[in-house]
Amino acid sequence: MNNRRLIAKGIRDAVPIILAYFPIAMTFGVISTGNGIPWLVTILISVWVYAGGAQFMLVSLALAGSSVISTVATVLLVNLRHFLYGTSLGPAFIHWSEPKKWLSAFGLTDEVFVVASNRYLQEPPFPRYHLAFVFACYGSWLAGTLVGASIGQTVPAAVSQILGFALPALFLALLLSSKRSGAHIAAAIFGAILAVAAHLLQLGNVGLVVGAVIGATLGLICQNFVESCKQTNL
Amino acid sequence: MHVLIETLIIGAGTFLIRAISLSWGSRVIWPAWGQKWLSFVTPAVLGALLGPLLFLPDNHLVPIVHNTTLLAAIPTAIVGWFTRHLFWTVAAGVACFAIVTHLIW
Repeated sequence: MNNRRLIAKGIRDAVPIILAYFPIAMTFGVISTGNGIPWLVTILISVWVYAGGAQFMLVSLALAGSSVISTVATVLLVNLRHFLYGTSLGPAFIHWSEPKKWLSAFGLTDEVFVVASNRYLQEPPFPRYHLAFVFACYGSWLAGTLVGASIGQTVPAAVSQILGFALPALFLALLLSSKRSGAHIAAAIFGAILAVAAHLLQLGNVGLVVGAVIGATLGLICQNFVESCKQTNL
Repeated sequence: MHVLIETLIIGAGTFLIRAISLSWGSRVIWPAWGQKWLSFVTPAVLGALLGPLLFLPDNHLVPIVHNTTLLAAIPTAIVGWFTRHLFWTVAAGVACFAIVTHLIW
């Protein structure tokens, strides 16, 4: 396939993600500028962070007056899952030059990973195809943010309050579209209980970190327990 | 300006997580338990984020019939479970939240 066709194919394969990203990014823009975060900063968040859940989280933690350290720690802990994406996609990029690997890593979001991991382990991608795919998704995210941020302050309060539900809905969608074995669901429930308890004890955002680390550990323990039960039965 | 500093650090950190893992992905072998534990971090974090949002909407416990967020989350979760689709789940969620808010007020 020639270069032009590779690029066209990459963009075509990105269409489902482009369609999903635009309205979510627009909602992000509306919520961010609607709540008083400057237009330019809102755009910068999408340009530089480029991670849906993390951006909503960043804005809501910042608006809630959370400290810089706890906001940064929380969001980066959430984004630690991307480590898993890189390590599991790594083998498909083994023959790529280092700069190309780093360039494509920038666009490695949840959705890109899900689509790419289904495709690349059988057939490693051409750089042009993959970069066109990744940056088409990025373009949609930026365009959505631009539109949302520009209309953010003109959107009625009732509408932007309703759009605010996009955040819990996005978290639910991410939770239910990824791994959902009993142990993974248990990790989510432990995380939720610990975070709610920490909030009720006025511990603030410490609950999130505690919920994440202990919840994940309890989930892993559950899975190991189930596996050892199976082994003793055999 | 806290948001700006947070944005710069989080953006750089997120990129490094993605780039280093992708760059090393094919060369370094990670311990199995580490990979396994990481796969539980995402649901645990999402649970820890959702818990207070759903059960403590104004930072305190609200009776379920008055908790619009929790009521809207139930159909949203059902849509998410069956479609496994990010966009449709968020769209259905916002629609449900609009309906529930409208019914209760």
